[in-house]
Amino acid sequence: MKVLIVNNMAPFVWGGAEELAVNLEKNIIAAGHQAEVLRLPFQWEPAARIPSQMLMVRAMELINVDHVVALKFPAYLIRHPKKTLWLLHQYRQAYDLFDSAHTNLPFGAEGEQLRNVIRNADNESLRESRHVFTNSEVTRQRLVKYNGFDAEVLLPPVNDPALFAGGQMGDYIFAGGRINNMKRQALLVEAMRHAGPNTRLLIAGPPDSPGDAAELQAAVERADLGDRVRLDLRFLPRETYAEYVRGAAAVAYLPFDEDSLGYVTMEAALAGKALITTSDSGGILGLVKQHETGWVVEPDAKALADAMSAVFAQPRKTADYGQAARALWLHLGINWPATVERLLR
Amino acid sequence: MKIALCSTFVPFLFGGARNIVDWLQTMLEQEGHHVERIYLPENDSPDLLFQQMAAFRWIDLSAADRVICFRPQSHLIQHPHKILWFIHHVRVFYDLYDSPYRGFPDDAKHRGIRDALVAADNVALREAKHVFTNSRVVSARLSKYNQVDSEVLYPPVFQAERFHCRGHSDEIVYVCRLEHHKRQHLLIEALALTTTPVRVRLCGSSAGPHYPNELNELITRLKLQQRVSMENRWVTEEEKVDYLADCLAAAYLPLDEDSYGYPSVEASHASKAILTTTDSGGVLELVSDGINGYVADPTPAALAAALDKLYRERATTIAMGARARARLDELNISWSHVLERLLA
Repeated sequence: MKVLIVNNMAPFVWGGAEELAVNLEKNIIAAGHQAEVLRLPFQWEPAARIPSQMLMVRAMELINVDHVVALKFPAYLIRHPKKTLWLLHQYRQAYDLFDSAHTNLPFGAEGEQLRNVIRNADNESLRESRHVFTNSEVTRQRLVKYNGFDAEVLLPPVNDPALFAGGQMGDYIFAGGRINNMKRQALLVEAMRHAGPNTRLLIAGPPDSPGDAAELQAAVERADLGDRVRLDLRFLPRETYAEYVRGAAAVAYLPFDEDSLGYVTMEAALAGKALITTSDSGGILGLVKQHETGWVVEPDAKALADAMSAVFAQPRKTADYGQAARALWLHLGINWPATVERLLR
Repeated sequence: MKIALCSTFVPFLFGGARNIVDWLQTMLEQEGHHVERIYLPENDSPDLLFQQMAAFRWIDLSAADRVICFRPQSHLIQHPHKILWFIHHVRVFYDLYDSPYRGFPDDAKHRGIRDALVAADNVALREAKHVFTNSRVVSARLSKYNQVDSEVLYPPVFQAERFHCRGHSDEIVYVCRLEHHKRQHLLIEALALTTTPVRVRLCGSSAGPHYPNELNELITRLKLQQRVSMENRWVTEEEKVDYLADCLAAAYLPLDEDSYGYPSVEASHASKAILTTTDSGGVLELVSDGINGYVADPTPAALAAALDKLYRERATTIAMGARARARLDELNISWSHVLERLLA
């Protein structure tokens, strides 16, 4: 079968959605099909030009394609008799962000009209699709609330699962992923001041901005923790990242109100690592269960410090949490072959 | 610089029109540019053409410092710094309108579509800061149909330094898709009329089994099994380099090709003479008779005489091969020239 993955492109920007499309392509080919990614340029500023770009997608003609898997707005407006949506997100500025006034759509009648154009087009696309999946429960609930449409959740699998096998329990807590205020790595540094003397922390990942990097570096200096906190602030080669995960004693990830389970926690669970998160981390709580797969604490330096100290105070228990995290992840049955099969059903 | 390379494609079909874009991306990135490659689907069916052309007008690439557009109708994309490397028109409405390839009636409706298409193309072509083409043939069409001046910018091959000359066997190689309009059959028919023991090697994949089967039957009928090697598959780049390194000369006999064709440029990089025909179109921009190869009439007899000459007058053949290599520099076929012109 010839499967075309249709995604958006914000010209010259590469992110999580692009990675997902590439991995989906790879895994559809691994399942014995042909696959290619079509990336359609989309620029949401100025908002007045959103409708013409929606029309652009709608006017495209596809030949020599047996099945379409579309990921984002407005790419999923493309016409094809066999179209499946795997919705990463809608245009949130016409939905939940519109309600909370975090929108680039203008105030008043003009904004209302743009919002309606987007919602009507979405409704039509949802109806004409063969199957509609979302990448998270949050996205699914938004579809129910705003479009009256009931989709299935299909969580994105871990890429290159073999990379996360066979690690040893090392002497540090690893905090991976993008570095920014929403991910709260600075709170971990703060917690280190209260943690036990043999607690070590490694923070590694790409800072969103030079300011995010500087802030974290300053926090480490202020805390005067010597060599107990290590920073590796850059875009890590995947192999290096996996090595950090495999060698960790536990993995901490504290984003504020995340939509999904989070790649960082999914990969750590697969690697059999105990998990640390905070009670306000949203989707992450799907994998982190207090005293089962790790520690769920208040977003507070002292509470975090207790959990981080416990990692090293009771290594046997930490190892058990890690095994339980791995069992929980495997129990969810989220892997690429099954995902491809559902998408092409 | 942020550069968007824009072209159109049919999903799951690969070939020359994608090579020129993909290879240019690699070369630009090596020079430190930030490149985004944009392939848009296009279906040339007359009734669907204009809605897609409208779609291309709505694309917003303002994030790019400049855009370079290739296959039609990507030249309709709007950008303040638009460069075209124009490789062909929607030919059924241009040079192929009065040909069996048209595929629809010559009626008021289709004449109307043709006029509207030419008008839209005229506007889009004139928006460009500069128009390059891949051959004199295409430049002549732009001048004739759209009254637009253009500059020929020959597309180089990728990593040309891979190609080299190791010696000269008794074999003429033809590395190209096995398709009727590439006329491998003509080379086989010619081989049957030669008086020397010169040999032929054909390699390439084909769209269907029909033409390769015909070629096999022809080879058997003419009892040429011992003198023809045929591989009906996409040979690897390494195999191609080896075949060209060892052969006596190369053949490329397409019927009225737009451009000079990658097979003849690859042979030139390997310092090998090229056998072609008087009706091969763009190939004649590269090959001159008796200088860097032979340009024969498209008949078995004329091609047979050329094959024998390549075999018998070995020293001349080798000298023509050396001049084929030099001809690439005369025509400025190199990535450094391409980058210099496209970024000027």
